[in-house]
Amino acid sequence: MALKPLEIYKLLPKKNCKECKEPTCLSFAMKLAQGKADPESCPYLDEEAKLLLSSQTRAPIHKIVIGMGTRSFTVGEEYVFYRHDKTFYHQPGIIYRISDLSPEEEIQETLRKVRNDKITRIGIDLQVDGLAISAESGSAKRFKEAVTVASEGGDIPLVLIAKDPAIMEAGLFICGNYNPLICSATKETADAFCSLALKYDAPLVITADTLSDIGILATYCTGKGVSKILLDLSGKNCGEFLARSTLTRQIALARTALELSHPVFLVSTSHIMDDMVTGIVKFASVIVTPPLSTAEMTTALVLRQNIYTDPQKPIQMTPGLYRVGDPGRTSPVFMTVNFSLTFFTVQGYLEATRVPCFLLIVETEGMSVLTSVAAGKLNETVVKEWIEKTALADEVDSKIIIIPGYASPLSGRIEELTGWKVIVGPRDAADIGKFLTEERT
Amino acid sequence: MIILENAIADGKEKISHLVHAVKGDLNYPDTAYHLPITYAITGMEVHNASSALEAFMKAGENLLIGAEILVAEQEGITPEKPGYSGFIEDAVIRKLGYSLVDGSILGLCLLLGTPKSVDTAAAICRELQEKLMLTFLSGSVIKILTDAGVKVGLDLRLIPLGETSIKAVHFVDILARVAMMFGGVPPGDVNRLVTYAAQRAKAFVIAFSSLSDEEIAFVDALRILGIPIIQMGAYEGEEWQISSPDAAVSRGMEIRGITVKITAIPIPMACSPAFEGKSVRKEEMFVEFGGGRSPAFELLISRPAKEVTDGQVILIGPDVDQMQEGTAIPLGIIIEVAGQHMKKDFEPVFERRIHNFINYGEGSWHVAQRDLIWVRITKEAVANGLQIKDLGKLLAAKFRMDFETLLDAVQVTLITDPVRIEEEIKKAHLIYAERDERIAGMKDEDVDLYYSCTLCQTFAPNHVCIITPERPALCGAITWLDGKTAYEISPAGANQPVEKGTLLNAIPGEYEGVNSFVKKASHGEIDRCVLYSIMDAPMTCCGCFEAIAMVLPETNGVIIVTREYKGDTPSGMTFSTLAGTIGGGAQTPGFIGISKSYLLSERFLQAEGGIERVVWMPKHLKEEIKVKMGELYSHKGYDTLFSMIADETIAITIEDLLPYLNEVNHPALTMPSLL
Amino acid sequence: MNYSYSSGWPGTIRSVTIGATAEQGGTRVSSYQIGGDTDLSFINRSGKKPLIVYEICDDISLWPEVVRNTCGDIASDPASWAAYAEKKLQADCIRVNLTSTRCQNFTNFNAISDTITSVLESTGLPLIIEGSTDPDIDSEVFVRCGEAGQGEKLLLGTAEADRYRSVAAAAMAYGHAIIAQTPIDVNLAKQLNILLRETGVSDDQIVIDPYTGALGYGFEYTYSTMERIRFAALKGDSDLAMPMISAPSDSLTVKEIRESENPDEIAILWERATAVSAAIAGAAILVVRHPGSVQPVRDAIDSLWQGSRSEVEDGA
Repeated sequence: MALKPLEIYKLLPKKNCKECKEPTCLSFAMKLAQGKADPESCPYLDEEAKLLLSSQTRAPIHKIVIGMGTRSFTVGEEYVFYRHDKTFYHQPGIIYRISDLSPEEEIQETLRKVRNDKITRIGIDLQVDGLAISAESGSAKRFKEAVTVASEGGDIPLVLIAKDPAIMEAGLFICGNYNPLICSATKETADAFCSLALKYDAPLVITADTLSDIGILATYCTGKGVSKILLDLSGKNCGEFLARSTLTRQIALARTALELSHPVFLVSTSHIMDDMVTGIVKFASVIVTPPLSTAEMTTALVLRQNIYTDPQKPIQMTPGLYRVGDPGRTSPVFMTVNFSLTFFTVQGYLEATRVPCFLLIVETEGMSVLTSVAAGKLNETVVKEWIEKTALADEVDSKIIIIPGYASPLSGRIEELTGWKVIVGPRDAADIGKFLTEERT
Repeated sequence: MIILENAIADGKEKISHLVHAVKGDLNYPDTAYHLPITYAITGMEVHNASSALEAFMKAGENLLIGAEILVAEQEGITPEKPGYSGFIEDAVIRKLGYSLVDGSILGLCLLLGTPKSVDTAAAICRELQEKLMLTFLSGSVIKILTDAGVKVGLDLRLIPLGETSIKAVHFVDILARVAMMFGGVPPGDVNRLVTYAAQRAKAFVIAFSSLSDEEIAFVDALRILGIPIIQMGAYEGEEWQISSPDAAVSRGMEIRGITVKITAIPIPMACSPAFEGKSVRKEEMFVEFGGGRSPAFELLISRPAKEVTDGQVILIGPDVDQMQEGTAIPLGIIIEVAGQHMKKDFEPVFERRIHNFINYGEGSWHVAQRDLIWVRITKEAVANGLQIKDLGKLLAAKFRMDFETLLDAVQVTLITDPVRIEEEIKKAHLIYAERDERIAGMKDEDVDLYYSCTLCQTFAPNHVCIITPERPALCGAITWLDGKTAYEISPAGANQPVEKGTLLNAIPGEYEGVNSFVKKASHGEIDRCVLYSIMDAPMTCCGCFEAIAMVLPETNGVIIVTREYKGDTPSGMTFSTLAGTIGGGAQTPGFIGISKSYLLSERFLQAEGGIERVVWMPKHLKEEIKVKMGELYSHKGYDTLFSMIADETIAITIEDLLPYLNEVNHPALTMPSLL
Repeated sequence: MNYSYSSGWPGTIRSVTIGATAEQGGTRVSSYQIGGDTDLSFINRSGKKPLIVYEICDDISLWPEVVRNTCGDIASDPASWAAYAEKKLQADCIRVNLTSTRCQNFTNFNAISDTITSVLESTGLPLIIEGSTDPDIDSEVFVRCGEAGQGEKLLLGTAEADRYRSVAAAAMAYGHAIIAQTPIDVNLAKQLNILLRETGVSDDQIVIDPYTGALGYGFEYTYSTMERIRFAALKGDSDLAMPMISAPSDSLTVKEIRESENPDEIAILWERATAVSAAIAGAAILVVRHPGSVQPVRDAIDSLWQGSRSEVEDGA
């Protein structure tokens, strides 16, 4: 069990010297408790205290950065088994795998996909994260050529997959400075791969037949000085991965086996989508897959976005005036909050009615209708503000606005402040269709 | 006049005699339950005379079994004539039972005998139909009704069982089968059968005249199943309840606790939550009440059942036709409620709903509470026919609809008479004062149960608040009384009772029952919850606390930070930083999320020495609680203490705070060490 | 070093029976017992493989366009559609969604009985019946459903907090199981189960539906609610220890599918991803609408099932 703030405070010098950049020892203690500070920052801690603190307060899963620059991605630094207990912090990197036997154009095409293909949802661009070159040719020269093509631009994180250390070295010679992921060391190749990892200060995947062997290998590599390790829990199929990853996360959180406190690596062995789904929901930090079709990519990216959304910070829409269909001057005007789920639900039901209309989204910091009404965030002032900001009055002939059923207590005040006539709509978005039919008759 | 006692005794003998003489096979068609009453009571599968006799004797000559045996024999020899159902097959019973469970039928009624007046009998049937009861008829009442043109049949919920009153036994075999089909009552388990009949299958009997001794004895035996017999004067004896014909149905329903569902509000004004936010401007109003312009008050009181007539609305004083437009009129709203499960504690909770319900009216508007209310009705509503009395009907209907399980009867008295209102307001004041005193005086020792709240578990899956009379929920929204009321209104809801159990430690406030409750509710995460402590196993927090109390080790004291205060604190952390760390269901010694009102409780920090520990709080909070704090602690001489508590105008850093505390000689500095 | 983790699960998920064969008093060719888990989904195979259910309806006009286009005429008659689902798609069960009851002022109750009877005749698979959603017609609709399927151990849907009596009555009267649905909230799910129990429904007749939001449109709320329900149940909360169903109703009308050039491909992927995630979270019944989804979901479940811990011996 992680130490609590006051327990940690007791170990600190209590000078409030601020050398750790925190105003007080207590605030430093709180940060340590969350794993958001480094015990090394305190110059007055003795070694024993530092050791105790670092093992107890660091994140149960180490943090690792892969790649460099704007497209680099961070994995690890996770604290929970269930996202609902807090949140998952770092989404898995999805890596397209291509063989070094592929012709140059194909490698370039895959690289282009990784670099450019994206879907945009709720104002956020979703993309895959990297390219893996797999040494199937058996030739160091060929591998090196392939890696060279893949490194064009130097911006896309790379994963080098080779069993032979010499071939791996050839690839690293090209891209080693760009913080690629080395995949992977086995018991037999551990020494050589560890040297490479240390030489290039690159993260290293380790592979073994059983979880037990993986633990032993992890301990060995750590002993060699390699701190950035990923555990390959792939297995024969997604079911094996599920079992291993579940156990590994449980143990890492219990802090009973430090050798398993590393991010998890998964290479697709079953059907692409099944591995992808299992990896996303069950703790994979890097998922290597054959390149995905647009449909597969969309599905995977949406699932990843969903699972890795912070449950306590719902996604917000940008407030403003949205259109459903092609509304005109006599089209109905609906208003609701900027909680993304509300938006999509209401939008969906409005679209289903096939009646073109306006949807005014007001700023409620992502709170739902019920919550924002209770908290006072949805009020006549904010409605007035957004009616004015969007120049809504210029879009329609009659100043009539339909508000969510649960916002009915606001109806009078909204009318008074805005001068718009308020119609109270249904409480349940599913009744919008029925409501519109009745309103029009 | 038939004397029941004698008839019952004679009837018993006659039935016994007849049962002994039964011969041959006994089989009902299309049933899996053999002779259902016999099967339910004895568990025996009877299909012939000898086993029938055996069952009858085994059950101590039970009259219900006896009657069943006789009727089974009869129907075996002579099936019922057309127009009468006789024994009804399982498939149909299944459907009837379905309606009983799904609430389309509220209860069961049996009519038997010979009514003296066909109109009386017809009126009783009509009333039963309107009140969603399923009625079984047996005996001459059937022919009397059908001859007069009354239609009977399954789909009309008037089921004609048989020509003779003894055929009423089918009513009982239906009950038995419903109990076995739906109630999970095992055949032979009499106790469960009786319980089921008493609790689920709400039935009563209305007996007309001219029943034979056997019929009287048999019907009387129904009382064992909790089924009352109502008669209208043809019989003498206390065993059966006497009633006038026009009150027979209500009497029966009242005894069985069957209440009619209210589904509509019979007034000429639309009512819906959608109108809740609409206010009524001066130009729109017809008249107004209260708001400082005329005397007005509202009050909800619970009364014994016999003092409340459901749906009754009384107006004392003028109605709209005698009011001048644009004026302010007095208004007293007195709502008297009765219910088996209604409690005095619920009164203020229900009273607050008057506000919502009046606002649901399209042309009515209400603000505030108690004797501060301000109500308006629109010209439009009055033009459409709205009267003051209608407001009463609205309230009566809404209270019954929304609190179906708790309120059996609601009556409303509205007062618009200027003289009368003065008297009633005085009485209301006494009741308000009494309520205030009751809540103010409540102590944690006074009660055996605390209440939990898990409303925030969506955001903090392992968090549970334990709410005591002196410690409200950390969100500030729920007091112990609210939790208790919520539990009693929705027993399966987010507020559950917590047995205190053995007192482990009085000053810190640790109870065995509280500990085990918290352990379970947090899925094993939290072992102990010490109620009045900040250092030792303090309560967990979700995220909606109004304020945070945290230990400041250098001062040996505690600082309070509020949600509204956005600035820095001597801890080096702001409210939002702290909130992020201690929320989410964690138990963090040294830190608690609290409601502001908890600061005014003597239990706050009791384990660590109490309010003397507080060294700093934001100025706005000081202003808010100054008066109340003064009242609370003045008799303890703590006026000076309050001025010793620092705020952001005095110190924002620990470096500035410590010297100040030393200067004023703050008691926390010399108290036992917190760490 | 042998790794093991003792989760300390005191609880077990109850078993619910769906479908009655001849020995059990029905006419189904198969009967399933779902539930029984003593650990997380797929781990140690303590439970059963999730059932893969194909959903049909009796009024196709209200059904997702991508399914209408793919199925064509076969979808115009529930009985032949059901036979198709059994023979060609090889679903484990069929869910019959009585969409005809959604229209305003529905009164054709006899058609309900006929539809269910004809489906029962045309397929030997156990059935899930999704009835009306309007409290005004619930009483009539559910008595027909219950009666038509008497003896077959149907799974009847859906009971909600403010309209559960008719579904409960049908379950009790005719021996069926019930789907209890609440809007993605653990405490409300618990409350509804308690309400049902008080009405007389036994705990082994209840399947929890936490309401499955579409992927991309709230699915993560469902996912977490399912994990929480499973966790609470395994920790000993018997009011939540029932199997769960994932039956998304808005999945195939999402923008990503409607605006795609190849709606079938993405529809199947969408359903596959939803079903697999739900299965991992603990769903014992997975419902799909696109005919092309049944086999892919089955492949996925088989992969997950094969790899469970009993084959992956710690340290072996």
